[in-house]
Amino acid sequence: MKKVWLTKAFTFVVSMLILSFVTFYVARLAPGDPLQAFYGDRVEQMSSAEHEAAVRRLGLDAPIYVQYQRWIGNLLQGDCGISYKYKEPANQVIGAFLGNTLLLGGIAYALVFILALLLALCCAYYEGSWIDFLFCKLGTVAYYLPPFWLGLILILIFNVNLHWLPGSGAYDPGMASDIVNRLKHMVLPLVVMIVSHVWYYAYMIRNKLLDEVRQEYVLLAKAKGLGRWEILLRHCLRNVAPTIVSIMAVSVNHILGGTYVVEVVFAYPGLGNLSIESAKYHDYNLLMLVVLLTGAFVILSGIAAQTVNEIIDPRMKVERGVQG
Amino acid sequence: MNENSDFTLVGASRNSVFQDTTAKPHKTVFHMHWLSFILFGVIVFCCLCAPVLANHDPTHFYLQHLNEAPNAEFYFGTDSMGRDLYSILWYGGRVSLAIGFLSMGIASFLGIAYGCLSGTASSWLDNIMMRAAELFSSIPSILLLLLFLAFIPRPGVLSISCVIGMTTWMNLARIVRSEVRQIRCSDYVWASKMMGGGFWHVMYHHLLPNFLSPILFMMIASIGTAMLTESTLSFLGIGLPVEIVSWGSMLSLANRALLTNAWWVVVIPGLFLVVTLVCITNIGHAFRHHVIRNSSNL
Repeated sequence: MKKVWLTKAFTFVVSMLILSFVTFYVARLAPGDPLQAFYGDRVEQMSSAEHEAAVRRLGLDAPIYVQYQRWIGNLLQGDCGISYKYKEPANQVIGAFLGNTLLLGGIAYALVFILALLLALCCAYYEGSWIDFLFCKLGTVAYYLPPFWLGLILILIFNVNLHWLPGSGAYDPGMASDIVNRLKHMVLPLVVMIVSHVWYYAYMIRNKLLDEVRQEYVLLAKAKGLGRWEILLRHCLRNVAPTIVSIMAVSVNHILGGTYVVEVVFAYPGLGNLSIESAKYHDYNLLMLVVLLTGAFVILSGIAAQTVNEIIDPRMKVERGVQG
Repeated sequence: MNENSDFTLVGASRNSVFQDTTAKPHKTVFHMHWLSFILFGVIVFCCLCAPVLANHDPTHFYLQHLNEAPNAEFYFGTDSMGRDLYSILWYGGRVSLAIGFLSMGIASFLGIAYGCLSGTASSWLDNIMMRAAELFSSIPSILLLLLFLAFIPRPGVLSISCVIGMTTWMNLARIVRSEVRQIRCSDYVWASKMMGGGFWHVMYHHLLPNFLSPILFMMIASIGTAMLTESTLSFLGIGLPVEIVSWGSMLSLANRALLTNAWWVVVIPGLFLVVTLVCITNIGHAFRHHVIRNSSNL
């Protein structure tokens, strides 16, 4: 047991190291002068002594691998460098945005999976009928609607023309703690997130369920006199649970990425908006931190899913032991 | 293949991709494919004939006619810069489609090459390569795109396609690798090697036809995904600049259009994009082998 955890921790650390290494090198080699981003047009008017002092202050004078070492060392101590644009420590800038993103992403994630499961069960129950067919066709179209475009259309209808719901921001000025106000602002982004993601997962779960209802035990359960719903919910659903957990882990990455795009459409103050902005202004300290945080989150959720699966189905541990 | 012959061909035949011998589960699905083929063909044809169809100069700003709703002169209206949407739509389609196909080419090349290498490599190298690909695909693609785009001061059609291709090859590589690993130990590959078939011969005649059919669907679908990605990037203001007209960069003016309630600027290019994407997906499905399930026990 201990060994399993050590392996997992080791995998995580190595993955993060590689990720941070690549991110750092890409960010440093990319065009765009960090000095310019930090000091703006003043850079051109600096004397050479001032220029050198500025370079030293931002730590740009050392060779790149030394910079990387320093950056990692600082990161481990909780210092993520200064955001060139906001002139504040990057982790402080991110703090406020992170909460908003986790709120939107978390709710979207939960809703997407609840709905996907319901849709999948419905399709599996009515397999081959017009309900199944209709869901499949509608789902495919919904999946291919560009999320940002869907967002724009919704804003056009419900905000610009009908004035029902707000179309931008996370809350009205001065109403940050008003939950109803916040929820109102989240309705349209959530609709976009659900419409553009739900079918992908529903379809995977549906197909898995359809394979499952062809197993022999279903016949036995039927012979015992169980109802169709009962078989589906009590037996089949349990057997596809590991697949669902795996899908849920993989989807963290997609749903988070989707949240980032939706945030920009709805001018929602979250990590997505922040990362696009920092890319535009060459604010790499901030961008690197967002990438690292996201990467860590995704890798951790992958490990968590594996652990959950091993608890649900202990056979997996054995299988992996034999292969690896 | 003659049905009545005494011998049946085993293994892969390159042509099998185009002869979907399995029965179609729904008649309607079959018709959808043809409808999509025709619709997609019409859209591509219209984009190729852009100079004939356009009734206004796509590069001209009609400053007297800003934000005009669709009318007899400007069929689809004009945007906030005074461009005729109807004319630039066809030119924009050329760029969008070009990016879709180019990205597909780049992603397929990378994915197949990586997958073949990983599939034929020794197990520890294969392990490392797959771990690397996994790590690469664990970051949301929008962040990867942001990182790569940072290298390009002024994105153009080719550079955008490269960036999109470079961020979407991982799934393809994974499938190619598992197919290659399955096939490389099969008897007919051994037989071919025994008879003196070299690496490339085996690759081209035995492996490629086998994994082409599972990945063809993904390759076609990736055209659509690339077009979608391009439009998202352009909308976010980090893709193509407004001067290079594509369906995505036309939509990048949409935020301004929302203020003036100019629905045609948002709806029309988006509708073309969606229709094209759905067509491409349907075409992709036509090349996919349908899973025939026996009857349900439920």
